[in-house]
Amino acid sequence: MSGNLLHRPSILRRPDGIGGAFPALVLIILFFVVPVVGLLLRSVTEPVPGLQNYATLFGDGTYARVFFNTFLVATVVTAVTVVVAFPVAWMLAIMPPALGSIVFGIIILSMWTNLLTRTYAWMVLLQRTGVINRTLMDIGLISEPLPLINNLTGVTIGMVYIMLPFMILPLVGTLRAIDPMTLRAAALCGASPFDAFRRILLPLSLPGIAAGGLMVFVMSLGYFVTPTLLGGTSNMMLAAMIAQMIQSLLNWGLGSAAAFILLLVTMALYALQLRLVGAKRTTGGI
Amino acid sequence: MKLIMAGILAGLLAATAARADEMVFTSWGGTTQEAQTKSWAAPFEASSGIKVLQDGPTDYGKLKAMVEGGSVAWDVIDVEMDFAIKAAKDGLLEPIDFNVVPKAGLDPRFTTDHAVGSFYYSFVLAWNKGAVSGEPAGWADMFDLTKFPGKRTFYKWSAPGVIEIALLADGVPADKLYPLDLDRAFKKLDTIKSEIVWWDSGAQSQQLIASGEAAFGQLWNGRVFALEQDGADVGVSWNQNMTAADVLVIPKGSKNKASAMKFLAAATSPKSQAMFAEASGYAPINTAAKAEMPADVVKSLPDAYVDGQINLDMNYWAENRDAIAERWYAWQAK
Repeated sequence: MSGNLLHRPSILRRPDGIGGAFPALVLIILFFVVPVVGLLLRSVTEPVPGLQNYATLFGDGTYARVFFNTFLVATVVTAVTVVVAFPVAWMLAIMPPALGSIVFGIIILSMWTNLLTRTYAWMVLLQRTGVINRTLMDIGLISEPLPLINNLTGVTIGMVYIMLPFMILPLVGTLRAIDPMTLRAAALCGASPFDAFRRILLPLSLPGIAAGGLMVFVMSLGYFVTPTLLGGTSNMMLAAMIAQMIQSLLNWGLGSAAAFILLLVTMALYALQLRLVGAKRTTGGI
Repeated sequence: MKLIMAGILAGLLAATAARADEMVFTSWGGTTQEAQTKSWAAPFEASSGIKVLQDGPTDYGKLKAMVEGGSVAWDVIDVEMDFAIKAAKDGLLEPIDFNVVPKAGLDPRFTTDHAVGSFYYSFVLAWNKGAVSGEPAGWADMFDLTKFPGKRTFYKWSAPGVIEIALLADGVPADKLYPLDLDRAFKKLDTIKSEIVWWDSGAQSQQLIASGEAAFGQLWNGRVFALEQDGADVGVSWNQNMTAADVLVIPKGSKNKASAMKFLAAATSPKSQAMFAEASGYAPINTAAKAEMPADVVKSLPDAYVDGQINLDMNYWAENRDAIAERWYAWQAK
């Protein structure tokens, strides 16, 4: 490796040391690693030393339900996001660049709008007396308001909307890298459009789906604002439970234990992703 | 180098010196904190020369972290009374210096060694007249799905109020509420659970009722008062209204304790309490405040509805806060 470097101009050298990353590394260690270790310690020292916090978390039906809810929401949101994002990403990939950058701008713009504002906007749209229900009732399609809020439906709608850019962006990267000739070749060989999609486009775009999907899944696992505002109490997710333990109940031991489990799951998922898709494709896709 | 260090040191000293006549007041934001700023902080600044910085919202986790970490940025905090009793027990609060804060006139219901009242309020039954046919007469009607169909809204967090409402509706006499029969309360609540919409902030409770999103609910009287002021078509029943209170506390290790005590004295004075009550619709915790208020405002306060009024038992809640909360959130999550 070092022999190679001699022949390259220094600016093209791959940074294989941690020298350049040093400031960022110090920041992360000081403001992330150290507090996380402190958190882990609290989970085994408060209120008394031992593993009782973890025993409570795993032994209690309520907490099990919250864990289940968290994974259910993350799974549903990820699946719906993939389905909604794919056509958009495909269009972006094949659009003329000028038009594509406008659509891109619109997608990015939504990411820059305040999360709370967007979530409250959904509340106004989805509630029983909201725009959607009013309209549907006025035109006589329904006689009773549809339950679109304070349940899993509301959470899914609100979160998919917020997660879409995180799915679309990596997916566009992957789709653009696919040679359009492969699809033409498939058509020439007699494949129907659906076959071409299923056997050519979909497999080739898997790295992008995996990268975006993992990002959406992991972000969903820790989501707080949207599930709290658009979900009901029976949709409580881990982040809301942790906030409750830390802020209201002052049970920091239990809250820390739950936070640590969330962190472990997230890291495990990332490790899985690295193994399945490979480090290069994972990071390269984003 | 030495010069620079000396300069930095001098700057730091100046900064701390400037802080000597400042203090930080923390409350829940919204219209309540606005009224507190206008009625308490502004007159206090003018008379004492101590600047009152506003912060918020109140966060019990932050309070604990500040006290434990020894870096307390808040000097006076508006908290729920049952929390204050528990926090005092946990050593998070400074005792009140009643040589500085005059005890005379303070409602003994809302005064402890470590807290003085901020304001008190009642939970009342409010409804949207357009969404409800007839007039709900009391808490029991909130559990009657045939006579009063529609969504009903209750306070989301584990706190004094909803459990008591369920028990009263189930026929428990008001003087036999405590100790709370949680099994019975949750069983009663189960009968309407699918029709409950939870509110987690005062503003949300107003929005739910005003829009008809919920036909009726358990609201803070001050929020109903504000709805009426805005001309919303709401009805209200004070039958078995339930009082609870917010109190003002000083976190242990406050850097401006002396100023904070003076602030408490000013905020609980009859005049400040009267001004706040007029602005917020919540009741004063100084019994002399009513003399300072217009008659029509006095009429709208929980004080005017003591007949059948129930004082939620803050000491019971302080004692059982964690145990009830655990059951409460487990039941909600089901």
